[in-house]
Amino acid sequence: MRRFFTVFEFEFKSYLKNKSFMITTILISVLLGAIMFLPNFVDLSDMLGTSTKTESTKKDTDEEEKSKYGILDQKGYVKDSPFLETFYENAEFKIYKDEKALKKAVEQEEVEAGFVVEDDSHFRYLVWNNSMYNDGAEQFNQVMTFVHKQIYCQKHHLNFEEMTGSYDAPVQYKQEVLGKNASDNYWYSYVLVVASFMVIILYCVMIATSVASEKSNRAIEVLVTSIDSKFLLFGKVLSGALAAFLQVAIILGVTLVSYQINRDVWGNALDPVLHIPSDVLLAFAFFGIGGFLFYACLYGALGALVSKTEDVNKSVGGLQMIVMIVYVVVLMQLDNTDGIIVKVCSYLPFSSYCAMFVRIALGNVAMWEIVVSFAILVVSTVFVGWLAAKIYRMGTLRYGNPISIRTALKNLKGE
Amino acid sequence: MKLEVKNLKKSFAGKEVLHGISFSVESGKALGLLGRNGAGKTTTIRILMDVFRANEGEILLDGKPFVPRNHQIGYLPEERGLYPKRKVLEQMVYLAMLRNVPKTKAKENAKKWLERLEIGQYENNLLETLSKGNQQKVQLASVLVCDPEIIILDEPFSGLDPVNSQILQDVVKELIAVGKIVIFSSHQMSYVEEFCEDIVIINQGQVVLEGNLNEIKLAYGREQLILGDRNKSVQEFKQFCEQELTEILQVCGQTKDALIVKLLEGQTRKDLLKALLEKNVEVEQFETYKPSLNDIFVEKVGD
Repeated sequence: MRRFFTVFEFEFKSYLKNKSFMITTILISVLLGAIMFLPNFVDLSDMLGTSTKTESTKKDTDEEEKSKYGILDQKGYVKDSPFLETFYENAEFKIYKDEKALKKAVEQEEVEAGFVVEDDSHFRYLVWNNSMYNDGAEQFNQVMTFVHKQIYCQKHHLNFEEMTGSYDAPVQYKQEVLGKNASDNYWYSYVLVVASFMVIILYCVMIATSVASEKSNRAIEVLVTSIDSKFLLFGKVLSGALAAFLQVAIILGVTLVSYQINRDVWGNALDPVLHIPSDVLLAFAFFGIGGFLFYACLYGALGALVSKTEDVNKSVGGLQMIVMIVYVVVLMQLDNTDGIIVKVCSYLPFSSYCAMFVRIALGNVAMWEIVVSFAILVVSTVFVGWLAAKIYRMGTLRYGNPISIRTALKNLKGE
Repeated sequence: MKLEVKNLKKSFAGKEVLHGISFSVESGKALGLLGRNGAGKTTTIRILMDVFRANEGEILLDGKPFVPRNHQIGYLPEERGLYPKRKVLEQMVYLAMLRNVPKTKAKENAKKWLERLEIGQYENNLLETLSKGNQQKVQLASVLVCDPEIIILDEPFSGLDPVNSQILQDVVKELIAVGKIVIFSSHQMSYVEEFCEDIVIINQGQVVLEGNLNEIKLAYGREQLILGDRNKSVQEFKQFCEQELTEILQVCGQTKDALIVKLLEGQTRKDLLKALLEKNVEVEQFETYKPSLNDIFVEKVGD
């Protein structure tokens, strides 16, 4: 065991002596820490949506940025309606007499869009390039709805104000969340999924490279004749894991503490991302570390299949793909954490590292499910570690082209 | 201490590459493991070091099964390398500690061997900044840093210039003198002749010659003589012998300035001398032929 710690210490020191590793850690921590203190010195109210500018200034600006629309309303349903001004406070409507002229104006971008009103309940919306968030038609639809109601009231001798007053009576409500509030927990869950994905992609490749390096520099034969190859592999994997954990903990710790200090100055604006409940952080730590070790052993095994560090990327390509698929699937299902996909993912060792804490943060999960999922992760990690050590020893003196995982497993079976 | 290798057999992918290798070596002696490329030397050494498992055979140390990890062994493999981006002393200490040497002792040993191999000034340099020869010396120093009882060197002289080779030869002689077991494989016969009392020649996975080097040389030289004429070139003298002395000798070969001859059955050295005098030959060389290890090697494993 003492020799395992010798390997662990030697490998861990190589991370500490790695200038880019240290500079990245310090630089990112200082940068994020500094950003958290920024509102003390710079006015970020615009960025945070807490503007204190006066109304007059706002108006001046709005005048300059008035939106222009074209309207063809031959029967006069809308063009003189007061609702246009109500719904389009900051817009200017140009009246067109024929559709051709309106279309031309839209094409030449003289107006942002055009509305062709056919009767009190039909209109066409003319737009040149429809952007993803274009709600022009929706807004005009509301104007038309009121116009329609007004015409109906006139025809049937009804009081329009009375009717709208009773139909659109303001109802007030207060929400009391007794369980979990997905809208509060969504963003930090998102951030943690992205963070765990990045940690696995970045560090596990470093671990695979470190495992391959001894074959690359031909030191492997001296090493395997000096120490059990299991100690060598686990020394490398665990030192890489500790380095990754420390870097993430330092960066995350500095950011969270700095934000906590300046939370009032920020007006709690970053709460959705940085005010993470301790139980979610704990679940993230347990499943994150477990999942990382699982992947680290897998990457370690794949690193052992190549004899040149430049071949590592070729060897780990398939596994990278799995990590990316898990990442995309979990992110896409973030608003459906009680769905079957996330539930299945939360038990698989390849995906439980992020799927389970997402369920804990956003969904309904029983304690026994967490325990079972963690147990599966731990057992899988131990198995993969054992397999990786076997592959490492088997691949010791196989120089040349990378060995495929299938050949490696076949050889292990043969032994 | 006596290390015995008995009837080692090894197959790769169903093909037997070692067909029963046996030899032994004792403390205070060096054994030269010789053979052409692919003969099975490195495989034998790797089985000795437990990198490969033998299919058959055993290795004994003082009559008991030999487990490499239970002993301090200095091993310089054929495929060798260290950490190019780490400091010389740091990696030597690491390698010693992997062999269970305490840190202080490891540091002390590392410094001692770096000084002995005349590279002490580089202890805090990154390995990659050293010349190839000095890197090779660091590699040798790291073999010796664990104070080994048995030293196994696979082609230790490759990459060393004559001065560094001399330093290594001196170190190996010192190790033999203090009672270590030294096994080394090499293609450079002159180094083997220099300090190996015993040799093993392996060809195509089997031992074709084994024993004490002096005895082997004597056995190979027996009944052969070196013969030279002061007034004739080697070619002229060869022609003369093949025409005039066919009843007494047979020409086996030649060196730069003399012939290697063998007396025919029933003929003595006295008969040959008498015949040479009668034929008016001015004898320049007349002595027992002792073949070089190179000659023996070529004869044994050459095509």
